[in-house]
Amino acid sequence: MTDPESSHQTVGEAVNETAGERDRSFSDLLNDCVHCGFCLPTCPTHVLWGQEMDSPRGRIHLMAQTHTDDVLTEAAVGHFDNCLGCLACVSACPSGVAYDALIDHTRHRVESEHERPRSERALRGAIFALFPYRRRLRLLRGPLRAYQASGVSSLVRRTGLLERLSPAMATMERIAPPLSSPPPELPELVPAVGRTRARVGMLVGCVQGAFFPEVNTATARVLAMEGCDVVIPRSQGCCGALSGHAGRVEESADLARGLIEVFERERVDRIVVNSAGCGSSMKHFGRTLAEAGADRSWVRRGRALSERVVDLTEFLVELGPRAERHPLPLHVAYHDACHLSHGQGVTRPPRALLSDVPELRVSDLPDKEICCGSAGVYNLLKPEAARELGDRKGRDVASTGADVLVSGNPGCSLQIAAAMERAGAPIAVTHTARVLDASMRGLTVEQLLGSRRAAPPTVRSARSRPRPR
Amino acid sequence: MSETEAPRTAVAALVPRLREICGEDGVLTDTSRRRTYESDGLPHHHALPGVVVLPTTADQVAAVVRLCAGNGVPFVPRGAGTGLSAGALPHAEGVLLVTSRMRRVIEIDVENECAVVEPGVANLDVTRAAAPYGYYYAPDPSSQQVCSVGGNVAENSGGAHCLKYGFTVNHVRGLDIVTPSGEQVRLGGKGPGAHGYDLIGAFIGSEGTLGVATRVTVGLTRSPERTVTLLSAFTSMDAGGRAVSSIISAGVLPSAVEMMDALAIEAAERAVACDYPAGAAAVLVVELDGPAVEVDAQLAEVTRLCSEAGAFETRTASGADERARIWKGRKSAFAAVGRISPSYIVQDGVVPRTALPEVLRRITELSAATGIRVANVFHAGDGNLHPLVLFDDAEPGAAERAEEVSGAILDLCIEHGGSITGEHGVGVDKACKMPRMYGPDDLATFDLFRRALDPDGIANPDKLLPTPRLCGERPGVRKGVHPLVEAGRAEQF
Amino acid sequence: MTLVEGLDAEGCALREGTGADAVGGLVPARVALPSDTRALGRVMSAAAGEGLTVVARGGGTAMDWGGLPRGLDLLVDTTGLSWIEHIAGDLVVEVGAGTPVAELFEVLAAAGQRLSVDPVRAGGTVGGMVATGVSGPRRLLNGALRDLVIGMTVVRADGVVARSGGRVVKNVAGYDLAKLHTGGLGTLGVVASVAFRLHPVPRALRVVTRPVPSGAHAERMLTVLRRSTVTPSAVELDWPPEGPGSLRVVLEGTPEGVEARVTEVVEALGGESAVADTLPEGWGLLPVEGTLALVSVPPAESVRAATRVGELAADADVRVSGSARSGTLYASFPPGTGAVGVETVLGGVRSTPGWSATLLRAEPHVHAAGTDLWGEVPGLPLMRAVKDSLDPDHRLAPGRFAGGI
Repeated sequence: MTDPESSHQTVGEAVNETAGERDRSFSDLLNDCVHCGFCLPTCPTHVLWGQEMDSPRGRIHLMAQTHTDDVLTEAAVGHFDNCLGCLACVSACPSGVAYDALIDHTRHRVESEHERPRSERALRGAIFALFPYRRRLRLLRGPLRAYQASGVSSLVRRTGLLERLSPAMATMERIAPPLSSPPPELPELVPAVGRTRARVGMLVGCVQGAFFPEVNTATARVLAMEGCDVVIPRSQGCCGALSGHAGRVEESADLARGLIEVFERERVDRIVVNSAGCGSSMKHFGRTLAEAGADRSWVRRGRALSERVVDLTEFLVELGPRAERHPLPLHVAYHDACHLSHGQGVTRPPRALLSDVPELRVSDLPDKEICCGSAGVYNLLKPEAARELGDRKGRDVASTGADVLVSGNPGCSLQIAAAMERAGAPIAVTHTARVLDASMRGLTVEQLLGSRRAAPPTVRSARSRPRPR
Repeated sequence: MSETEAPRTAVAALVPRLREICGEDGVLTDTSRRRTYESDGLPHHHALPGVVVLPTTADQVAAVVRLCAGNGVPFVPRGAGTGLSAGALPHAEGVLLVTSRMRRVIEIDVENECAVVEPGVANLDVTRAAAPYGYYYAPDPSSQQVCSVGGNVAENSGGAHCLKYGFTVNHVRGLDIVTPSGEQVRLGGKGPGAHGYDLIGAFIGSEGTLGVATRVTVGLTRSPERTVTLLSAFTSMDAGGRAVSSIISAGVLPSAVEMMDALAIEAAERAVACDYPAGAAAVLVVELDGPAVEVDAQLAEVTRLCSEAGAFETRTASGADERARIWKGRKSAFAAVGRISPSYIVQDGVVPRTALPEVLRRITELSAATGIRVANVFHAGDGNLHPLVLFDDAEPGAAERAEEVSGAILDLCIEHGGSITGEHGVGVDKACKMPRMYGPDDLATFDLFRRALDPDGIANPDKLLPTPRLCGERPGVRKGVHPLVEAGRAEQF
Repeated sequence: MTLVEGLDAEGCALREGTGADAVGGLVPARVALPSDTRALGRVMSAAAGEGLTVVARGGGTAMDWGGLPRGLDLLVDTTGLSWIEHIAGDLVVEVGAGTPVAELFEVLAAAGQRLSVDPVRAGGTVGGMVATGVSGPRRLLNGALRDLVIGMTVVRADGVVARSGGRVVKNVAGYDLAKLHTGGLGTLGVVASVAFRLHPVPRALRVVTRPVPSGAHAERMLTVLRRSTVTPSAVELDWPPEGPGSLRVVLEGTPEGVEARVTEVVEALGGESAVADTLPEGWGLLPVEGTLALVSVPPAESVRAATRVGELAADADVRVSGSARSGTLYASFPPGTGAVGVETVLGGVRSTPGWSATLLRAEPHVHAAGTDLWGEVPGLPLMRAVKDSLDPDHRLAPGRFAGGI
């Protein structure tokens, strides 16, 4: 992407793309910004640092500078890297600026042109040698022995990634079911309960699959109870979301191609995704492939697949309820995962589904549009900023007085749970799918949250604490 | 690489001291970072600031200003950078003083019905902080979730609801300011403060030319018992205009009366899918608030008046969500116009309410004659027009023609006894248009006042008043010479 | 005498000053009666040429307000500047400074409109009302007097006629200089005309009067009112020296609405509330004689301030009244109250953080005792700078304003 010609290259689809918007040039997309500043208050880094360059408006300015001067300054790269890619600005923008397309393109340019310091290169290398691989991730969860035995161990250790991962791992160990009794691996087909209403594919995901297999189990069960034949191809890999958000477009496109091939083979009506980051990325396979320079037929196949991708909650609302919901006397705080609310515009369906559970009360968080700081691998690359954002979000969650935090993304759950534990107010976290599963199966609150319910006495005391405002 | 290149002007000499005052990360010198500050919400005007500082305390602001004053270096205050008159356009050889890191809500004092905030606090955040106590901050500019209270003070911001509740100046009780010489002065407080000249009143709306506000005490308004928003659709702008006149002359004082024409509706529809009635040539958004019984009585009356004026559909919403949906279209209209036109100019002019129909007709004629589309979004209740002049900058000459249309609309406002700006301010954008509204003596008097507080002209120079540098020499009748003018301390217009 | 020749200006009658024209004991050498703004400009310009000190007078109801002028060569009588341009459809009026307030109110009322302010003096002119800048009880809904001024034409010390603002309510072009002249006691210029925003006269009005036997009781009542959403136009506290005090709540709106709101207020206040459908006689008027102080405090401290003034005054029989909801109180001393008694009250109020006290009117013996009318005025150096800029020779009512301005 270094030749000046690239400036007129097509960037790909905007979020609410229309045929006309698909093939607009980068500079065209940049020009959509009228500098109104409506994005500023929703941008997590602007919330943290209060400076223009760490706001979407400022970054777009930096992108325009990079574009017109054709120089990628060190300063600009730093501010691009600071972006969490939460896309809150896309929701806030009244002019319809496709910041998602702009930042993806820019990150790609950074990755292709910019020489990062060696240590940072190594860290990024380590992350991407680990994350897209469910098997390697799962090894991290085992005892140290297993971890040391793994192929990635020396790389992970050398780069200091382990230190960055360890707080997250500790949290994960606390909130995820014990490794000793992982749920049985899902079969390739989970048949519908009763009359079949749809045949759907299901994405297992890397982090979800490795750390929260029970969320996948719940998802499959919920879909089946609602009358779906659920197809879960064993051969599926990573969707490429994490790589894509980091500007590793070729890697991301390769992963996308793999997934496209896998799901093309299965004749499914929809592909249901229970992880916000994956869903958001899979809905833009066309753009990813175009950005990576894939040929037209691949871009077409990508788009065709993207059109079938739905978030679990979106799909369930569309399908309409059939299974009976049993009461779950719980007060839940619902956290909008950025890649669900901003990336996919899905905010009402999860709330609607949760609210339909008898005796369950749903609270919104204050400043709900602000990212929790997890943002893919951001918490590994920018731990301080991520931590600060996590702490803010933790305080917001605590202010609701809820018993449990529900979100549609594994990264968010981990991030917020860790923050609240740091603050001495641990909270139980779970996924929308697990709440629905428990309600449909008539489980009790204890069965849902189980012994993993964050140190029950603490939770209770946290709950009885007066609200901070 | 210009990466770490220091600014090469007089202001460069200040950088080490500025770093001592604001800290390493509170001073921006490298070019690419400074460039992100080159404009506010009116990017058509842009200039690279000499240096950008991000103070966090009033003491830092005062120290920066003192340093500027001591060295004759200009400074330009900037809040969130959402202004639409280029009032925060940086000075190439000056310090851009950004208050975006001063954003603490210091206190919500329910007993005294006021809030004390730092200048960088977003307007809407005052309301958010006050809401749990049943209060809100009344001025609500369209950019309220972004724009800062300090910026509101500088611009005397209003908003849709100022029809009933007034502007920033009607709600500020106390101000801490840093004067252009760097002194910190506390004016007023939580009480009504009736001491000496009303400097608070004169400071508000002074567009950063008299100093920087570092702490603001604003009165809070009790959240009304009931708020109802009414959306009325008409088949012509004239009919909508008639409805406005009859509402006002019936003695009803809505908190807001807003109007949008077909083009503005189209833009809003595309941006936020606000779902306004199909086929409307004009929509009127009327909001009523107050004690429930009063609101109910007024609602019946307004609904009747709208239908008598020819409304083909009227919806009412009293729930917060429904009301927000009605407002969404109106509030996003400016930026949303970006969806129907590659470029546009937002104009801000005021006409007496009774002149609205005539002026709107003339705008339509102007548009037809020039082929330049004009979308109308405005605060109909107080005659504040916001015509959006649409053009395609790729088309040669289009920008100039749009400028002409935009200027002609302002002339219409002046011709009808109105104002060249109702809320966006003069800034740089309209400084040269001030002589169309005010005579030389009026302008000279403004300048005497300005020089009283900023004798060296370092506080946001070249804004608000026309200067030869900005507007060229104006041949004019020169009358008796004021002593300050004679002494070279003030400008002769 | 060169004075008369020098002042000869077209459209401006001139006469010699008499004892009846005296301000603060100073008899002006000449009294000018300009017939319009231009003539006012001409005579002011002539006065500047002669280096004369000038005081403006409208209805003459507040000539004893503020400090004593240090000099008075020329008294400018503005009563010739009497005209009303009412633009009813726009709810705007522009008025000559010499127009009697009562006349303005009559014209507006005939059109079903009003300037939403209660004058504090009877018989005054619009210019005087603005130059003294003090607001009466009904200020909670539409603001104080300064909030209703949308434009002003002022004649500067050098005779230049300058306008700021305009005839539209919404206007941010240029500095809002009218704010400086409102309450400026004519020390920065002579007000020639004022444009105001108007409001429709509400169709119904009720006054709920509730006796408040004690300060604590008054505070409870005010808290109850603050928590309700009845939106009164005025909440007026009356705290006479002989006690007990009373609260008056003015409600305005539609006939249906007002009835319901009265019920709500009466229920909230409990006890024996009296309801009337007209304002009491002399509503909002301040006493015409005796020393008069303006006490400004944070609103929640209004009652405390009223009772504190009562304590400080001891047997001086000071009556405190004012807008409890906004924290603006007037302390009226009986005629003849000694300077020491006045100063005790001023000192006590001024020493409380957040409170201020200004003497709007001091009796001659209080002036003679050298009582500080203003106390500490934050921003005084800025005010001096403004004065120096607009009236560099300090010829406009010198000494009438804070800090000897």
